[in-house]
Amino acid sequence: MSTPTHLTRAISVIAHVDHGKTTLSDRLLEFTGTVAPRDMVEQVLDQLDLERERGITIKAQAVRMLYKADDGNTYQINLIDTPGHVDFSYEVSRALAACDGAILVVDASQGIEAQTLANVHQALDHHLKIIPVVNKIDLQQANPELVREEIEKVIGLPAESVIFASARQGIGTKEILEAVVREVPPPTGDSNAPLQALIFDAKFDAYRGVVTYVRVLEGTLRPGMRIQMMQTGKSFEVDEVGIFRPERTPVEDLSAGEVGYLIANIRNVRDSRVGDTVTDEARPAAEPLPGYRHVTPMVFAGLFPTDTEQYQQLKDALEKLQLNDAALVYEPETSAALGFGFRCGFLGLLHMEIVQERLEREFNLTLLGTAPTVEYRVKLRDGTEVPVDNPDRLPDPGEIEAISEPMVLATIVVPSTYVGNMMELSQERRGQFLNMEYEPGDRVVITYRMPLAEIIHDYYDQLKSRSKGYASLDYELVGFEEANLVKLDVLVAGSPVDALSMIVDRSKAQQQGRRLAEKLKTLIPRQLFEVPIQAAIGGKIVARETVPAMRKDVTAKCYGGDVTRKRKLLEKQKEGKKRLKRVGNVEIPQEAFMAVLSLD
Amino acid sequence: MERIHSLYLHVPFCAWVCKYCDFNAYAVLEGLIPPYVDALSREIDTAGAELPIGPLDTVFIGGGTPSLLTSAQVRRILDQVRAIGLASGAEVTLEANPSNVTGENVDGWLEAGVNRLSVGVQSLRPDALRFLERLHSGSDAIAAIRTARAGGFANVNADLLYGVPGVNLAGWLETLEAVLAEGVQHLSAYELTVESTTRLGQEVRTGLVRMPDADDQLEQYWAAAARLEAAAYAHYEISNWARPGFACRHNLAAWNYQPYVGRGAGAHSMFRLEDGSTERRWNLKGPHAYIRRIGELAEALDGHEVLSPERARGEAAMIGVRLLGGTEAAGDFPAQRKQLVGAGLLIEAEGQVRLTRRGVELANQVGAAFLH
Repeated sequence: MSTPTHLTRAISVIAHVDHGKTTLSDRLLEFTGTVAPRDMVEQVLDQLDLERERGITIKAQAVRMLYKADDGNTYQINLIDTPGHVDFSYEVSRALAACDGAILVVDASQGIEAQTLANVHQALDHHLKIIPVVNKIDLQQANPELVREEIEKVIGLPAESVIFASARQGIGTKEILEAVVREVPPPTGDSNAPLQALIFDAKFDAYRGVVTYVRVLEGTLRPGMRIQMMQTGKSFEVDEVGIFRPERTPVEDLSAGEVGYLIANIRNVRDSRVGDTVTDEARPAAEPLPGYRHVTPMVFAGLFPTDTEQYQQLKDALEKLQLNDAALVYEPETSAALGFGFRCGFLGLLHMEIVQERLEREFNLTLLGTAPTVEYRVKLRDGTEVPVDNPDRLPDPGEIEAISEPMVLATIVVPSTYVGNMMELSQERRGQFLNMEYEPGDRVVITYRMPLAEIIHDYYDQLKSRSKGYASLDYELVGFEEANLVKLDVLVAGSPVDALSMIVDRSKAQQQGRRLAEKLKTLIPRQLFEVPIQAAIGGKIVARETVPAMRKDVTAKCYGGDVTRKRKLLEKQKEGKKRLKRVGNVEIPQEAFMAVLSLD
Repeated sequence: MERIHSLYLHVPFCAWVCKYCDFNAYAVLEGLIPPYVDALSREIDTAGAELPIGPLDTVFIGGGTPSLLTSAQVRRILDQVRAIGLASGAEVTLEANPSNVTGENVDGWLEAGVNRLSVGVQSLRPDALRFLERLHSGSDAIAAIRTARAGGFANVNADLLYGVPGVNLAGWLETLEAVLAEGVQHLSAYELTVESTTRLGQEVRTGLVRMPDADDQLEQYWAAAARLEAAAYAHYEISNWARPGFACRHNLAAWNYQPYVGRGAGAHSMFRLEDGSTERRWNLKGPHAYIRRIGELAEALDGHEVLSPERARGEAAMIGVRLLGGTEAAGDFPAQRKQLVGAGLLIEAEGQVRLTRRGVELANQVGAAFLH
């Protein structure tokens, strides 16, 4: 089973979302016989149901393939499939750090997009050999020649190195594998050196505890060893090491260059952090591998059970989910409107959606999520600084010296026709223009410095709709900046609903308040009585709308044969109501709490 | 099982299926009537022999258009009913289309044992009748009521529709007034309801027809209620009014959650079991399938459901609150009652609850409160 180091390769597949990364990975598995075609479920590597449904990868996956190349040698190719969403860019960077090469997949009709560039930059930062692939060449709109030219001009990879492929039809699979064994360098580590293994993912197994995904860069990892996590300092005894084929398969050891997993009775993914370095406690490496970052949440939202009796279940569910999701943080929160729940921190909006959906699906909960917000840093007059991740907890304006908000560097890639629209949108969203570059293929790369809060408020959807779907976006956090912000409160039926409060730019506050009230009017269903909706800034009402009372809900006929149907109809109506949250006397749907996200 | 004193018989044939109708009714199948009558008679005779049926206090022949049957066919069916036990003084209703109410038929129906005639008037206005695709005229409908009364029916109901596009409040009250002038003992006024699966539903969806808004519908409803009350008709159910002693006993039994047996295509039966649960059974809907199945098995069950005692109580309350004189059916739901009283939808008095005016307008909200 053991493969000499010079026949070992470690690669990743990188692509903008939807460019066919996972399908290509599936074809590689099939072609190398790692998975028999009859066992091939579409997208083998995406293991969560949710991932398969949404067609996105959330967790990194790793698998070892054996490939008999044209040169007669059998190569061991370790493939690491990375998450394809900006929320998980740190995970991507760690997965790339565990590789020596990357297959860059670019859609033959879409061309290069923002994440393509971001991924390429990351891959180059890690000195990876890039194998460019133009995918989906079988599609009618495909223009592979143009995309190949783009790859040469924008990314600087020679056009002749570009492979044309259709992962769906299996075209180009062999060429890609040949390029991998030919172009990607073998690992350089020394199996006898002190152990340095990079953690690029971890997942919780109910029976075995944490399964840590590692690439061994130096030394050898074997069962029985006492290992130490160099960042957290915690140590564990290794029970098992193994590889993915794609199911877990134990092996005797993992030596320099190899990719696999270790199980060491670790009870919480927090003790097995992505980016940390595993070393031998008895013979530790001099230094950890570079690039470790403590992953911090970027957006925050409250999660409340619609049925208050589900609080304890929600608490248990979050605990369980956190075992598998080191990026998820939460703490108890009490809302006057929504009762007991949790304030949760997420990597981004997708991460938030996924967590909520998993909680509901896997733990059978009905949840209400409040609108996501960023974490502000509030400097008080007494000189102290407090983090505020919940608009309702913003201190009294009299106590505030200044508020700073997180800023991002946003990169937009868009056809030149839409540059005006993109700039207009970004300006509206308090963006500071930084740079614009025209690239071949009629593509423009625009960079802005903008508040993260603006990005999470519907910016991406707007970007898409104002560019007919062509714009793509990537962003990274670049620090905090002072801003003139105020709290906007909402009163429903005369009572403030804390969960609807938002922090907004002072100059836009009044307009936002009006829009929010208008929007809420359309989202709050008619109740038995009239419901006034007001928006207020610092106690002053700036907007008022009214949801009229329900006028009529009565069935004309209810005879013997109608009863079953009528009962089912009313039961269905009632089931629908369970998704509403009762705030005082008013039933408010989930969408209302998200209204603040799309006020344009 | 609780003894059953009510029987519903379904006749699924119509000369024309009106565009708003979503009942189990079929046009152009008149040729099936003779075998259908055979099948129905057989089902009455043999199906559910194990059930504690009778003596029957109420029989209701509904449709469809039961008046498409000859009086001999009606008689044959009612003879079969008498064979399983009909109480003396039982209420026996037949639904009739105005076009079929001839002197001859009236005599035949009375002879067969029918003693209550429900006439599908719907409207007297030509534009409304045309919109509704009724094949009779307003004067046909008035003539039908007169013929029925003159022929000897002492218990006549008229079915009316309000909220018909193109008919304003005055037009609606004009129809109501003219029907009241004929001295009917019972009146049902239904809001024209758009069912998605009908042609009317399609016309509304595509924008071809615009229905009156809720305010207009309620205005017509309450105006009719006021007029009927002034004429000494008791408003005893959301859509039903009667002179004293003429409330429909068959329907009252169902609204009071008493069991009934249904025979014929698509007919529903409801049984009350010893433990307080409710069982419903229903027959195959299509007349062809119904006839064939009866021929093979002497029964034509298509489905059934059993509601736990708790859900049955909720259903009883859902139906019971539609009785405007009050109901005890909500007795097991103190919390819901309190909330609905607080919201101004229910009034509590002497162990009963009844809908307020606002409660009538939102009766589904009230009914749903008792369901799970």
